[in-house]
Amino acid sequence: MKNRNIYLLLLPGVIFLTIFMVIPILLTIGSTFINEGSFSFDGYLHYFQDKYFIGILLTTLKVSLITTFICILLGFPVAYYISKVGTRTKVLLLLLSIFPLLTSSVVRSFSWMIIIGKNGVLNKLLLNIGLINEPLNILYTPTAIIIGLVHLFLPLIIITLVGVMENMDEDLLKAAESLGASRLGVFAKVVLPLSMPGLVIGSILVFVGSFTAYTTPALLGGKQRVISTFLYQNATTLNDWHTAAIVATIMIVVTLLVTITMNQIAYKINPKG
Amino acid sequence: MKEKNRGLAVFTFLVFVFLLGPLLIISVTSFEGGSVLKFPIETFSFKWYENIFKVSMFLTTFKTSIIVSLAGNLLALLLGVPAAYALSRFNFKGKAVLNAVFISPILIPGIVLGFTFLRYIVTTYQLPIYAGLFIGHTIIMLPFVIRVVSSSLSTFDFSIEEAAHSLGASKIGTFIQVVLPNIKSGIIAAVMIAFLESFNNVDISVFMTGPGVSTFPIQMLTYVETYFDPTVAAISVLLMIITAFFMFIVERLMGLSYFTKR
Amino acid sequence: MALFTLENISVAYNKQNILQDFNLEIEEGKFISLLGPSGCGKTTTLRLIAGFLESNNGKFLYKGKDYTKVPVNKRNFGFVFQNYALFPHLTIFDNVAFGLRLRKASKSEIEKKVASVLEIVNLSGFEKRYPKELSGGQRQRVAIARALVIEPDLLLFDEPLSNLDANLRENMRIEIRRIQQELGITTVYVSHDQEECFAISDQVAIMNKGIIEQLSDPATIYNYPKTKFVADFIGFKNFIDFEDQKIHENEIELTKSGFTFIVQKNKANTSTDGKTGAIRPDNIVIRPLKESVTAGKNELPGKVKIRTYLGRSYQFIVETPIGDFTINQELLVPYQVGEEVILEFPANNMVLVK
Repeated sequence: MKNRNIYLLLLPGVIFLTIFMVIPILLTIGSTFINEGSFSFDGYLHYFQDKYFIGILLTTLKVSLITTFICILLGFPVAYYISKVGTRTKVLLLLLSIFPLLTSSVVRSFSWMIIIGKNGVLNKLLLNIGLINEPLNILYTPTAIIIGLVHLFLPLIIITLVGVMENMDEDLLKAAESLGASRLGVFAKVVLPLSMPGLVIGSILVFVGSFTAYTTPALLGGKQRVISTFLYQNATTLNDWHTAAIVATIMIVVTLLVTITMNQIAYKINPKG
Repeated sequence: MKEKNRGLAVFTFLVFVFLLGPLLIISVTSFEGGSVLKFPIETFSFKWYENIFKVSMFLTTFKTSIIVSLAGNLLALLLGVPAAYALSRFNFKGKAVLNAVFISPILIPGIVLGFTFLRYIVTTYQLPIYAGLFIGHTIIMLPFVIRVVSSSLSTFDFSIEEAAHSLGASKIGTFIQVVLPNIKSGIIAAVMIAFLESFNNVDISVFMTGPGVSTFPIQMLTYVETYFDPTVAAISVLLMIITAFFMFIVERLMGLSYFTKR
Repeated sequence: MALFTLENISVAYNKQNILQDFNLEIEEGKFISLLGPSGCGKTTTLRLIAGFLESNNGKFLYKGKDYTKVPVNKRNFGFVFQNYALFPHLTIFDNVAFGLRLRKASKSEIEKKVASVLEIVNLSGFEKRYPKELSGGQRQRVAIARALVIEPDLLLFDEPLSNLDANLRENMRIEIRRIQQELGITTVYVSHDQEECFAISDQVAIMNKGIIEQLSDPATIYNYPKTKFVADFIGFKNFIDFEDQKIHENEIELTKSGFTFIVQKNKANTSTDGKTGAIRPDNIVIRPLKESVTAGKNELPGKVKIRTYLGRSYQFIVETPIGDFTINQELLVPYQVGEEVILEFPANNMVLVK
């Protein structure tokens, strides 16, 4: 096929994306460097000295990091188990992991409101068995956001890791065993390093997802702002588009930075992967 | 060795309780007879399911969501299928860049996309909110269409296409008669996944509201802010049934590999 | 005394018996091959010895000690996999050092042992490479080095050469044999390649449907198969089911449809309870009919049915009163299809099998 014809197939999509996405994004980023008609970094300088904004940024980063860490801790063993069971159980467990992933994030966050609310299921249970004397205040705290985000993103890391572990040659594990490695040794010396690519990709997805998530912090965070709810507040309620554009640019930069750095790390850990 | 596996099995079980338990609890609470969400329920009734149909905004926004998702899906297919075909079939200059452009809507934070759509599509380009919703949803569906269709094209034997050519079929004729039927299931799967993605979307739609215009998930959010009755729980059950149905169809069409591959 | 013994082992998989009442004894320092068609249970036997599989019944004794329940990682057996199973994330050095590190060997000891084993397999200088950067034959040698370096009590090979091309396969099997003899490690080798097993082994066990049909040195198996299965497997294409036999001092007289055959008795030959005669296509002599008027002892009249040119020789399918026979013969002037011939079955080339 002639080159011209190939580009014709791509052209409608490219034009559409350029007009409605690429140009708006570039204009948004560009607008943050203009202050009173001239080029300047003032907008950024201002926000990086603002304690309130820095607080939001740090909270968001902290919440995302903890979420990623918990997801790895819970997801890794589960993925290992799923990759080792028989086909039928595997399909069932994968479907059960995928189902929450496809379910509306509003539904999933809302379900946690019922559980961790002041009169929620968890408090009732703990009060009844006498573990606590007065209800815990979990809802509308960063902890609530973390719980909701772990629930949101855990399936993602599980299925990503299963994808990698499934393709691991069973003979490699047997070879390690025949050379004298215990179950734990096989896991630490063979399974873990070979899962690194999946672990890195999964972690990127969870971290970036948590960093930019809107619904979960909006429902479970209460007055606790994270960067995405802060952006929304500025763009709509406060109508401060300059601030919103700066926050948007910071989000894009952080997202790209994390993705690129993690990929570099993955490449260094496993140059032959 | 068996003991060790049992420990892992118990751990896995507990994680799945964490993942699915909340969805189970929300399903149970939807049948509460009283007016406050509680678990376990005290009386049993279907009245909150009936209530969904009494709140007119639920019906309006449901219609909006369906129309936006379906129309956006159609446009995403028209733009995405030829692009996916070109990207998986040929090698050409700028392929990597173009590939990145088509995938970028999932790399850019949704809330950022929503904001720029509001600022430029609705405000600068002066398009109605409906159009903004339609365009925004088309854009976020495009990467899913490209990914699913590309993955089903990756197993397609392009020599079949050459065979059709040699038998006298035109290029477009070959695509319609030979390529499309062979990637049919990939396209159906793409439609379903993109539909769920669009129908459940909050990040874009939350910026695209106006007098009487909103999407279904946004209406749910608004409702939850004001009422704490089991209506949203009842809606959740209906949404989960639809989701499960879609998931099984995709699984039938593409297997589970689509979900585990990254 | 046997180094290790498999006693009445049974293995079932999906309710299907793969091994049943399986017995095998192996002496120290020997190289034994398990040979047979796919599904005969040879790989199962090897994996059982390695400890990857558990038997439903029976015992596995090593130097008189019960090893049946000893886990894989405590057995100290080296295993060489069909697909090499090298750790892709480790260098050649680290791959080979893997087992030594688990044995808590000192750094200097590891360096010394890895270097010397890499020398044995002719891979000195490859320490820093990754498996992906090596050819198939080199990878296989790394796999062997990795298994050897732990000074295993037993070396196990699972079709190690089947992923290599023909030339390399021949070189590698010489290499494997050389290393085994140099180090004197008892070795069990699984393959479906007859030539490979015969070339490399002290003893060959021909397996079929989960049992050993015959266990002998390669020459004995090649010349004197005991069962019809073994004979067929190693190329005795022609079989005659005799009706009657008379045993004399040095020979056995057999009859089939009025034709008489003499089979010589000798040390390895011939199980007198076998009543099926077996002979290779190369060993039947084919002559034109005119040379002898009637067929005598060990002879059959026949007619050429099919002629195939094999390059070095011709192959004839000859129709006789007691069935078709396949004969390979080097001839300048071949017989034509339809030509009447006499087939001669030399007494010292026919064996009786069960």
